[in-house]
Amino acid sequence: MARERELLTTFIEFADTLIDEYDVVEFLHRLAERCVELVDASEAGIMLADRDGELRYVASSSERMRLIELFELQHEQGPCLDAFRDGVAVHSPLDTDADTRWPRFAPHARDVGFESVSALPMRLRNEVIGALNLFSSSPHLLTDDDRQVVQALADIATIGILQERTLSDVRVVASQLEVALESRVVIEQAKGIVAERNSVSIDTAFTLLRSYSRAHNALLSQTAHDIIEGTLAASSLTNTTKSPPT
Amino acid sequence: MAVNGLEPERFAQIVADRVKEDRDPLSSLCLACTDVLGVTGAGLMLISGDKSLGCIGVSDDIAAAVEEVEYTLGEGPCIAAYNDKIPVFDPDLNDDGERWPEFRQGALAAGVVAAFGFPLLVDRVCIGALNLYRDRAGSLTERQVGDALVAADVASRTVLTWQADAPPGMVAWQLEAVPNHRVEVHQAAGRISVQAAVSVDDALVLLRAYAFSRSRPISDVARDVAEGRLRLD
Repeated sequence: MARERELLTTFIEFADTLIDEYDVVEFLHRLAERCVELVDASEAGIMLADRDGELRYVASSSERMRLIELFELQHEQGPCLDAFRDGVAVHSPLDTDADTRWPRFAPHARDVGFESVSALPMRLRNEVIGALNLFSSSPHLLTDDDRQVVQALADIATIGILQERTLSDVRVVASQLEVALESRVVIEQAKGIVAERNSVSIDTAFTLLRSYSRAHNALLSQTAHDIIEGTLAASSLTNTTKSPPT
Repeated sequence: MAVNGLEPERFAQIVADRVKEDRDPLSSLCLACTDVLGVTGAGLMLISGDKSLGCIGVSDDIAAAVEEVEYTLGEGPCIAAYNDKIPVFDPDLNDDGERWPEFRQGALAAGVVAAFGFPLLVDRVCIGALNLYRDRAGSLTERQVGDALVAADVASRTVLTWQADAPPGMVAWQLEAVPNHRVEVHQAAGRISVQAAVSVDDALVLLRAYAFSRSRPISDVARDVAEGRLRLD
């Protein structure tokens, strides 16, 4: 019962972070720590693929774990890489079979003190975005129950990351829209100011703004902004143009 | 969304059908709202910060008139929906006591008796509001509210998808297919800021006040100011 309650608390905690703003790396560190608390593992680590599809270390429950994850990446072999590439969970003792499979990684991991390893792909439908890795100083592999728990945690982490990516995309686009719309407003306002100050039409004012911007290698929106702020005098615009067309 | 309610794909199809009648996408979206939501008019407004950036689509002239009122006054159920990020309903504009008295006046004059504002939200980012109007009093049914949320969702995602493809710093071309008179409002504000020696924000307030006090649409007054026929100093 205690374990069920712990699990439930973990899931609720993580579900909450999916709703609020949060930092992915911080989230994954906490996930790695929780894994170690919840199942029979000594250390946990998480790697995510970058835009080029290369796995990168992101978070772990300890420094020792971080170093071994880096080792795996450096030597381009190990259970995490396999889980990521194949999209299938890996559960293995670090025995002679493991030496055959990962000739550089397995002996090194044993040297560091680990006896068994589990690596779960972080995937949603067809997309594998990384791997959640658990190392143990005991040779016993994870029980079926534990495997289910960590798979569930890996799934939550995956959804959280994909959700965060969607959110930041949406926020980026929404703010781009806002900026673009506002800069249009600014340009139109500047036209009015320049037209009024120089006693010209709106169209001529626009020409003046554009010529000035070109002559000073400035963005039109910046020139407009400066006119509105008062840091650029509207009268300056008529000095730099060479006989504007009327 | 709701099991028996409007599916986003179905709504998108209705919009597409309207587009085939040779209408711009956003007006089509507004017309699609009148097709399925039990309302007689719809308008889409983009809002940023506390500035209404403009109406980007309407179903018809009546909706256009009401959007104009809301834009001129800067108050109404749609702006409230944007600010509060939840739907805001006014099922009988004849009835209400204290909320948006000037908006009510203007909307009733245009023939609208009920108005419902739905924020355009994608996750928690709000970019404006979808405004639904009726020529008679009455609340939306629960089903209609649910369907309207679907429509607002489709509208928000559509707008952002278009914007995502726009060149950096530029407004997506699909959002430009609106009447160009908004630019005149900002040009007028520029002129007025010089004439009255005030900030552009205050100039816009002066413009609004003038338009409202003379019961003229803000875009008309703005055109007169921008083209030099009227001074507000």
